[in-house]
Amino acid sequence: MKLTLAAFSLVGFTLSAQGLDPGQLLKPPTSTWPTYNGDYSGRRFSPLSRINSSNVTAMTLAWEYRLDPGTGTLTSPIKSTPLEVNGVLYFTLPDHAWAVDARTGRQLWHYQWETHGGIHIGSRGFGMYGNWLYFETPDNYLVSLNAKDGSERWHVEIADVNQEYFSTPAPIVIRNHIIVGVGGDSLDVPGYLESRDPETGQLQWRWNTTPRKGEPGADTWPNPEAMEHGGGMTWVPGTYDPELNLYYLGTGNPNPVMAGQGRKGSNLWTCSIVALNPDTGKLAWYFQASPHDTHDWDAAETPILIDGQIDGRPRKLLAQSSRNGYFFVLDRTNGKNILSKPFIDLNWSKGLDAKGQPIGNPDKEPKPDGTLVIPALGGAANWPSPSFDPETGLFYVNASSSYSLYYLTDTADKPEGYGGRDSGVYATLALKAIDYRTGQIRWTHEYNRGGGSIGILTTAGKLLFTGDPSGNFVVYEPANGKILWHAHLISNVSNGPMTYELDGRQYVVVGAGDSLYGFTLQQ
Amino acid sequence: MKILVALSLLIAASLAAQAPAPARPRGNMLISRAVPDPAAVERGQKTFSANCGFCHGSNAQGGDSGPDLVRSPLALDDERGDKIGPVILQGRANKGMPAFHLPAEQIQDIAAFLRSRQQAAIDRNAYTILNVVTGDAQKGREYFNGEGRCNTCHSPTGDLSGVAKKYDAVTLQSRFLYPRTRAGDPQPVRSQVTVTLASGPTFSGSLEYLDDFNVSLRDAAGEYRSFSREPRLKIDIRDPLAAHADLLKKYTDADMHNLLAYLVTLK
Repeated sequence: MKLTLAAFSLVGFTLSAQGLDPGQLLKPPTSTWPTYNGDYSGRRFSPLSRINSSNVTAMTLAWEYRLDPGTGTLTSPIKSTPLEVNGVLYFTLPDHAWAVDARTGRQLWHYQWETHGGIHIGSRGFGMYGNWLYFETPDNYLVSLNAKDGSERWHVEIADVNQEYFSTPAPIVIRNHIIVGVGGDSLDVPGYLESRDPETGQLQWRWNTTPRKGEPGADTWPNPEAMEHGGGMTWVPGTYDPELNLYYLGTGNPNPVMAGQGRKGSNLWTCSIVALNPDTGKLAWYFQASPHDTHDWDAAETPILIDGQIDGRPRKLLAQSSRNGYFFVLDRTNGKNILSKPFIDLNWSKGLDAKGQPIGNPDKEPKPDGTLVIPALGGAANWPSPSFDPETGLFYVNASSSYSLYYLTDTADKPEGYGGRDSGVYATLALKAIDYRTGQIRWTHEYNRGGGSIGILTTAGKLLFTGDPSGNFVVYEPANGKILWHAHLISNVSNGPMTYELDGRQYVVVGAGDSLYGFTLQQ
Repeated sequence: MKILVALSLLIAASLAAQAPAPARPRGNMLISRAVPDPAAVERGQKTFSANCGFCHGSNAQGGDSGPDLVRSPLALDDERGDKIGPVILQGRANKGMPAFHLPAEQIQDIAAFLRSRQQAAIDRNAYTILNVVTGDAQKGREYFNGEGRCNTCHSPTGDLSGVAKKYDAVTLQSRFLYPRTRAGDPQPVRSQVTVTLASGPTFSGSLEYLDDFNVSLRDAAGEYRSFSREPRLKIDIRDPLAAHADLLKKYTDADMHNLLAYLVTLK
């Protein structure tokens, strides 16, 4: 561990007042929230407890910041989880980035990117290295800004917008690697993950999510053309175990999205949880959540690292509430399956194979006259962050029990694009607390209406923060789901809530639509 | 350190030289590039079919001897023939493609045709749903009056009379599964609610809003009333669509297709 820490120090690097000490990346988040999930584990659990179950009724609004895009326009709600470093919050929207004072919500700077196009669906935020910030744009540039004043340092292209790529992830910084993902599922482009140099943006390595001719995994595709057009986007930031030096990532679904007849086989490494060496980009192991997916159910949901106990033995685990409706627990040292159990009542699976991977029912693949499938295209879960609370041992996710009609529209031997359409029928949404050792749901809070998944934060104050589908920001008791506090915001919570402590005062920050809210205890 | 900084500045400067082009307007969210002129697309299709279709397929998706041009990186990077033009004019001898001496206008038309083919594949919201009426109408009728118990609330000669004239088959399939309120519906389907206060008075009407903390309704006189859901407040909700939600768990795909086949006969 000492070795790892030493490797994290920036030799000869002078931090500005706004700079991030890289050692913070190896600690649970308290005064600093230095990376997308707060720390590398993806748990979104804070050890802070100044705001706790005995005083949360006195939590009140400290400030509100309404996103000001200057001369530009806002094209998405805020999906970015802000970073908080040395009292400043940093967050993004497609083509926009801001810094605001973490104590007051006062804007310090705004940066606008001149776009070439691309789908402006969302931006999940910044990565930070020393004095520098990194974010991705819908037209696939990695942009580095100076944290001090938001001035642009450089930008590099990481994918071609003309090929229909568009990028949404928050870069993840591991030592001197800026790990960036790409998105884009309209026209069958291949997915990849890259590591870029923090000083220059130059490529260090690229890992392709689908094999090329003759490579391992090629036998899970019918031909080279299918795998080179096989999709597998890297939509969501992954997690990292410094001791094992493995980066964990959930990959996107294969392309053509809904028409599988031109890509018979399991289509590795799409819809998979993979472990990569962050220094080389080499694959250590994989587990496929949806072999041969035809429902747009990427496996990009955050793979949370849990240091837990199975049968009384300490284990290094990884858990995911996957878009296809399964809760998976793996041994993160080798990818071996420990548990695969649905967390909604789904209707597309015929059970599990020997590796614990679900077996899809071919009758529930999209058909020209429509199949009725649970969950809907948006899935049982999606990119919004789940949370794991080590004190309750429960994994929390806002789970959608949803129904879609799935139509195959392209019946050609070699379909292209999506090759199909969906029509959402009906959905309910519930907050679920899952026991990671058994997959059993310990408590459920059913909402009064359906909706998409919503991000979650837990804290040592015995609190769970999340949004409901009616526009409320709600605090629950994580052990039992009892509601402790709520406030109605301008719209539904649209990012993952986060927290930090400054000058002995704890703040909880959440984004909804075009606004960011800071809450603290009344004093 | 200074040398390093200078070096990275130099690299940054060279990278910055690749300045992005100005923003283009975005209409359809899935289509972010200019939509070609339909007349040019039509002309381009004819030129393409006559000159290129034999190898690349008349729909440009590739054939035995020519690659797919819908998903071709070169064709996707093309703007008005600037990338495909040289290939058409010079051919690709090493891959067996001859040169085609086409005038610039025809090359631009081919580029417009290819862009339209690409955009047709990209724009999934415009894909045509094929035939959805594949079930057995007689079995659907039996399901309607039997296992599905649809006839508890609906009648083919009453509320459903002419329903197949009102909606096309694809719309009808979504609507009978769950007839949620859609934009522009003249008569939105609303749950009915009765709220009983701890002190005794009751209020009834159509449900306007419900979350874990508040409930509101509009009564028969059109008055809007809103209540906090304090513990002793009683709420009784009657959801007219509850049976539809229950059936979603029970349908087989065959039940669904049979029922649709029956409903499309109600003209």
